[in-house]
Amino acid sequence: MLLLHIGGVRLDVDSHKQTSWHDLTPQIRISCVLLMVLAIALTPNGRWWTWAIYGVGILGVLLASRVTFSVLLKRFAVELSFVGVILLGTLFRDGGEVLWQWGWLRITTTGLTVLGSVTLKAGLSLLLLNLLVLTTPIPVLLQALGALRVPPLLVAILASMYRYIGVLIEEFNSMQRAAVSRNLMSNRRWHRLVIGNAIGALFIRTYERGERVHYAMLSRGYDGLPHLRKMPKNQRRDILALTSTALLALLGQAVYLK
Amino acid sequence: MHHNPISIENLSYIYPDGTQALKGIDLHIKATERVALVGANGSGKSTLLQHLNGILLPQEGQVVVGEYQMAPKNLRNIRNFVGLVFQNPDDQIFMPTVWEDIAFGPMNQGLQGKELDDRCTLSMHAVGLDPERYAQRNAQNLSGGEKKRVAIAGVLAMQPQVLVFDEPSAQLDPRSRRQLIYLLQSLPLTQLIATHDLDLALELCDRTIVLSEGKVVGDGATEQILGDRDFLERHHLESPLSYSRPYCLLEDVQAIDSVTQNGNGKMVGLGVKAIEI
Repeated sequence: MLLLHIGGVRLDVDSHKQTSWHDLTPQIRISCVLLMVLAIALTPNGRWWTWAIYGVGILGVLLASRVTFSVLLKRFAVELSFVGVILLGTLFRDGGEVLWQWGWLRITTTGLTVLGSVTLKAGLSLLLLNLLVLTTPIPVLLQALGALRVPPLLVAILASMYRYIGVLIEEFNSMQRAAVSRNLMSNRRWHRLVIGNAIGALFIRTYERGERVHYAMLSRGYDGLPHLRKMPKNQRRDILALTSTALLALLGQAVYLK
Repeated sequence: MHHNPISIENLSYIYPDGTQALKGIDLHIKATERVALVGANGSGKSTLLQHLNGILLPQEGQVVVGEYQMAPKNLRNIRNFVGLVFQNPDDQIFMPTVWEDIAFGPMNQGLQGKELDDRCTLSMHAVGLDPERYAQRNAQNLSGGEKKRVAIAGVLAMQPQVLVFDEPSAQLDPRSRRQLIYLLQSLPLTQLIATHDLDLALELCDRTIVLSEGKVVGDGATEQILGDRDFLERHHLESPLSYSRPYCLLEDVQAIDSVTQNGNGKMVGLGVKAIEI
């Protein structure tokens, strides 16, 4: 039920700090993070030195951006626990030497390599994405996506998802409270049935609300294409940041060149 | 400013399910008039309001807004001319931050850069929201009164000549309602206010139109219409609370006056209306 907290929690705890990372325009921050995540994810399994180099780079950015480490680690831990479920599957696979066996369960060298690689990939990428979300407010991120030529309609859909998720959760909670206040606790099965109905009602309400929102948009002159705000232009330091990210990505790969 | 911003002639509307929502409405509103539109639930208020902004197009009869006949080719101009404030601000504020939402209308008009910023700042000031404090706030975390203000600012930012409100005081606490009344009083625009809050109508509007079952059944001075208890009850309404409180009786006013005069020697103005009940 992590979603239930999105409306109330402030995601961008560190967005008001002034560091060299915060000086970069948001679209460049997104580009750098995207580039690094791609580089991390596309590295073949078992190339530990590449990830070590990337890790040092990421640590540098984390220190430079002065993010609140307690918040970062907390979020990181929660997210990694979800990834953990997938990781367990990678452990018990065939290939290589068998190190340990119990019935049909066995741990092999290939399994361990895959496990380590996927954990590192997921961990490093999550650190970067958390850094981005911690230091950049969501509305700014959405505007930056627009500046990066993501289709405006897609950005508008993301923006209204962000706007309305809290409203929907509030509506669902109030329906649930209304049901509980009329003594909905007799038995589990009945409870599930009612919650199911509430979700159905919420779906219809969402549909109706969508229509009302659309009317409100029309009445303010919406003509089918959302307009995006102008974003600050790229400066020299932005180009420098993007170039050094690309160089770091290449350096990491170059270690295994023969 | 246009001298006769809204005129409606013989307007009828039937919903797809066969409900006749409006029957032969005739209505003319003059510039800078503040008009209350009252009527029981289902009397056709909202349907009428949606015709003023081109969300619904007339099936029969005609609607003329400013110099524009209500037709698809004029919709752009009509929507710049008439600003519609919806009942539930959550339906209207759909952008993540206050600033982005207020900028939505002007951006659709093609404004950019400094002009856009000025327009937004101006309308935030007009509704009493400090741009420094509110511009980057998340729309989710505003109070009901603040949301209402943002919704009105978003419409004002388009600089319309007519403002149309659907239940502006619904879901507001007394203080926010009071602030809303002052705000509407301060706006020098033609206003049409659909409301169940007859005290608000009494305070704000000189003219009141009563809708009942899709027809205009009363149109005249607010005090005259809202003072006619039998008429209101015939159309499933009741007279404003401020008309029915016991201290509105003439003899009570005199009694209270004498107390306040004797008490500390100062005269206290109570500002009540004396109506026979």
